[in-house]
Amino acid sequence: MKTFFLSFLWFSLLFAATAQASQALIEFQSPEQQALFKELTQELRCPKCQNQNIADSNAVVAVDMRNKTLELVQQGQDKEQVLDYMKSRYGDFVHYQPPLNKFTLILWLLPALMAFGLVLVLLLRRRAERSGAVTESAEQAVPQPQLEQQLDQLIEQYRRKS
Amino acid sequence: MRKLAFFIPFVLFIGLSVFLFSGLFSDPMARESSVLNKPLPAFSLPDLQQPDNLWTAEKLKGKPYLLNVWGTWCVTCNAELAYLTELREQGVMIIGLYYQQPSDAAFGEVFNLTALQQEVKLKLEQQGDPYQWNILDKDRTLIFDLGVTGAPETFLIDTKGMIRYHHIGDINPQVWQQKLAAAYQSLQE
Repeated sequence: MKTFFLSFLWFSLLFAATAQASQALIEFQSPEQQALFKELTQELRCPKCQNQNIADSNAVVAVDMRNKTLELVQQGQDKEQVLDYMKSRYGDFVHYQPPLNKFTLILWLLPALMAFGLVLVLLLRRRAERSGAVTESAEQAVPQPQLEQQLDQLIEQYRRKS
Repeated sequence: MRKLAFFIPFVLFIGLSVFLFSGLFSDPMARESSVLNKPLPAFSLPDLQQPDNLWTAEKLKGKPYLLNVWGTWCVTCNAELAYLTELREQGVMIIGLYYQQPSDAAFGEVFNLTALQQEVKLKLEQQGDPYQWNILDKDRTLIFDLGVTGAPETFLIDTKGMIRYHHIGDINPQVWQQKLAAAYQSLQE
């Protein structure tokens, strides 16, 4: 029993060691570089996986991109340079912020168009309501005696029934 | 005006339906390649079987060829080997770019060239050998520069070393006929 326990302990130690070895610790020259690396790995998109950033994915291409990002950041390249480096290989797809061009124009135009449409609908409605109010008051413009006559008729009908 | 407004929700509904319906048949992996119509990136990588022999972009110029990114670990690549071998027999020049990836890097797997050479040799003997030769990209540098997302991927390179087509996924008779055959033929002349 004691040997079993010891070997179990030994094995768990072994796995703990390998598990630690796979989690490489990255050292940065400055906190700015660390922040930039973090920002970039969260904004860069894994080209192989569906909707994961490269910080999140362990696909080979994501690991390679992470390593490359680290290398470029440690070389002192700024955000734009790293993004351009990645985009020239993996396309605009690779950045989670699409650039403004003829293919993505609709993304920017659609909200503005919808807001415009909404205002238009509200304005039209208000106008329709106002003209509706006019016709209502026109209906009310039936002369008073005529109305009273109609009312008398109704009362007469009601009395006869009961 | 009133009647027109009555149809607006219907028109929106139809538009949305068409948009979503077409989405059912779109390929989420399909995307524009950014290396198209650019020269093959500069590199200097060893031949897989004869590591002393270094291949460069310059050395590969002269004939149009297919650059096929593959690995023995990749199931789809294995599946396309037979058809690629058929293409080789029809006279298509195919060069392999070997996508090396450690099967278990987290457990400290060490790269062993002799073992890899044996493995590749065996695989090609079993499934067919479409390759004139294989270039070993151990650290996936050229693979990265080519914007490869995974294996298999195939590039069509012209006589001047320009990338003319980038295909993601396997090559089968249908893909070859529809996407690559005509382009390859036009480069021959």
